[in-house]
Amino acid sequence: MNVYETDEEKVEAIKGWWKENGLSVAGGLAIGLAAVFGWRAWVDHQEGQAQQASAAFEQLVATVETGNADAARTQARLLLEKHGDSAYGALTQLMLAKVEIAAQQPQAARQALEQAMAKAPEPGLAKVAALRLARLLMAQGEREAALALIAREDQGGPFAADFAALRGDLALASGRVAEARADYERAIAQGAANTALLRLKLENLPPAG
Amino acid sequence: MLQEIRERAQGWIAWAIVILITIPFALWGIQSYLGVGTEPIVATVNGTEIKTRDLDMRVEETRMRMRERLGAAYRPELFEGAALRDQVLEGMIQEQLLLQASLDMGLRASSLELQGAILANPAFQRDGRFDKETYDRMMQLQGMSAMQYEESLRQRIVGTQIQRALVASELVTEQELTGAVHLDRQQRRLSYLRLPKAEFRNDSPLPEEEIQAWYESHADRYRTPERVKLTYMVLDAAQLSAGQPVDEEALRDRYAEQLETFRTPEQRRARHILVTLDQGADQAAEAEAKARIEAIRARLTAGEAFATVAQEVSQDPGSASQGGDLGLLGQGVMDPAFEGATFALELGQLSEPVRTPFGYHLIEVTQIQPETLKPFEEVRDQLATEVSQGSTESAFYDMAERLANLVYEHPDSLEPAATALGLPLQTSDWVGREGGADLLASPKVVAAAFSDEVLREGTNSDLIEPEPEVLRAIVLRVTEHEEAAPKPLAEVREEIITTLRERKAAEAAQVAAKAMVERLQAGETLASLAASQPVTEAGLVARDSAAVPADVLDLAFTLPPVAAGAPRYGFRPAADGDALVVAVTEVVDGDLGGLDEAALQGTRRELAQVLGSSYFDTLLKDMAFRAKIEREPMGEEQSR
Repeated sequence: MNVYETDEEKVEAIKGWWKENGLSVAGGLAIGLAAVFGWRAWVDHQEGQAQQASAAFEQLVATVETGNADAARTQARLLLEKHGDSAYGALTQLMLAKVEIAAQQPQAARQALEQAMAKAPEPGLAKVAALRLARLLMAQGEREAALALIAREDQGGPFAADFAALRGDLALASGRVAEARADYERAIAQGAANTALLRLKLENLPPAG
Repeated sequence: MLQEIRERAQGWIAWAIVILITIPFALWGIQSYLGVGTEPIVATVNGTEIKTRDLDMRVEETRMRMRERLGAAYRPELFEGAALRDQVLEGMIQEQLLLQASLDMGLRASSLELQGAILANPAFQRDGRFDKETYDRMMQLQGMSAMQYEESLRQRIVGTQIQRALVASELVTEQELTGAVHLDRQQRRLSYLRLPKAEFRNDSPLPEEEIQAWYESHADRYRTPERVKLTYMVLDAAQLSAGQPVDEEALRDRYAEQLETFRTPEQRRARHILVTLDQGADQAAEAEAKARIEAIRARLTAGEAFATVAQEVSQDPGSASQGGDLGLLGQGVMDPAFEGATFALELGQLSEPVRTPFGYHLIEVTQIQPETLKPFEEVRDQLATEVSQGSTESAFYDMAERLANLVYEHPDSLEPAATALGLPLQTSDWVGREGGADLLASPKVVAAAFSDEVLREGTNSDLIEPEPEVLRAIVLRVTEHEEAAPKPLAEVREEIITTLRERKAAEAAQVAAKAMVERLQAGETLASLAASQPVTEAGLVARDSAAVPADVLDLAFTLPPVAAGAPRYGFRPAADGDALVVAVTEVVDGDLGGLDEAALQGTRRELAQVLGSSYFDTLLKDMAFRAKIEREPMGEEQSR
């Protein structure tokens, strides 16, 4: 490393260095600051968008509660247009499915549930959507499709109990009582939803043999 | 070499290094370096730590809530153990999981929801409306800033959004609704009879070895509980106070001590006329004001009524309209100059002009209320009550202290204490761990009686004050102790024989019921078989019918449905040991047609509610299933 003899030499050296590198230093600083502020602005924008979507979604929930299907559809459409790719998109599809079922539009409900599954921001939410879709298919009499869906989506874990309960319903609908019994028993043992009703179903099965 | 270092240290490179080092300190402060990783944690959820301190706080909060809710029924032992801690920790883990998942998904609480939640919280309201001051005070009490609180509230709202979404979006197909109503409102036509076990009782002697075997295999049923007999002494403030003479001398002393509180100092009623003048007024203004006040004084001395003149010219807005009247004044209230003048005047005398910071006053005293002192006789009873209360209390604590010392100094007997203090020794009958009568029922007393020191080492107990607000204390020792012991067979023989006969009778009833069901299934009818017992025809009943005993309903609705007109039969023991035989001849599924739209809607809502919230619980489990959760092995010393 070079050692400077006098103050003048030092000043000269600094000036020379600045001439050579000043532009890149200033440029680097500018880029750095722009990146920091740009990032902050982007995060703020995202946050704002998410909050808007949240408020719109809460409003949709309230509307669905009133039972006004047309208003709910309009609000859902607007929400999907603006925030369709966010988590609220998938939740909106779930709400929409309920609206369509209540309005006796199973086809539309089915589409909504398929969308909810595809866009689910969380694997667990996809499972809930799948369960609802399977129940809808069963109500439509499409037992094969429902079974196929269940076979695809049932990957063990805590939701297995609820899938087992649906398998039981499907087996019973096809007259396979012994299978239904086994499925119900498994569902109850693993703590599926609405065990009280499942128990009634189990007790109401014709005797074996 | 030092020279070289010094020279280099002055180079620009050194400065650059120093500046680089300063940046992190400037940005993050020194505490983040010092505080790294020093706080103990209880669990990690996907890398987020749950701190021991936070868990402790939550556990304490839960305990306090339980204490408030249960009041006197609060049992510390139920809430002090590790079980509560585990439960609270699991709750916190779930909360954390849900929050992480929600934030990762991109769920947010909008400012509108936040605002709504704050406005609706009754804790921040006064007279039923949101109150900013109350809000700020609550924040201060909780030791957090409004921003921190709002952030935590946002998190809570986000955490519940997914739950609300799942429950609100739960759908129920017509098929499911029909199925549920069919089952839930199903009716069954049934008849039943009861075979009383009394009819199957056999009073012939039982083989001795059977009694012996039962006695041995159920030894824990036939034991006397552990119990003690106590000698004890009660110190009761209520008894100390009774009949104590009041010392007149002491009352007089107390009166003298508190004399000031019985004195009402002199008060004077005054009226005044004010000519305002600023404190720093110049000489001209001063002279002018002085002239005006003298003029007014001249009018008054000439005989004009004070009140009229005051109303006319006084510049004191408060009193002018009252004719200058200021009401009764004590000392230490008014400006010193004003007060000095007021209390120097005679009744009805008009003052010279008085200068105060407000200006010039003319003062007249209209009434003098001399100092009064409540005489001793008037307050004697009040003092006597105070004295006796105070002396009872101090006598109680005095004696309690002496008692505690005496029983400690003579750990082998209560006699010395009893003689010294003149308290009667009392003895109890047998007392078990469930406690005895009166003071002996207190859990604190029972715990002391069965403590190691008192029970095993035979020493006196400490002085116990069972009720926190009552001045009553007890000290005790155990005079007799009986361990829990098996009762001799001879003593319980009759009891065992009765039990065995009852059991045999119930079993025989079941056998008879089973045989009856087999014959029914072979084609005979309930009516033809029921020789001595009446058959109850219950008709068509629902699951929740009140007309049929619950155990009959339970059996009737768990029998398989009737097929091809062949009735179903079943039997079971009733709660009292009788045998029940039930025949179901018809099953009618619940009918949607019998329900109006409102009822249907209600059922639909109920089903959706149950399903939706259950799916949410499963979602939570699923998240936990996929998450990386590490629980620190909880040291026993932490949970004590």
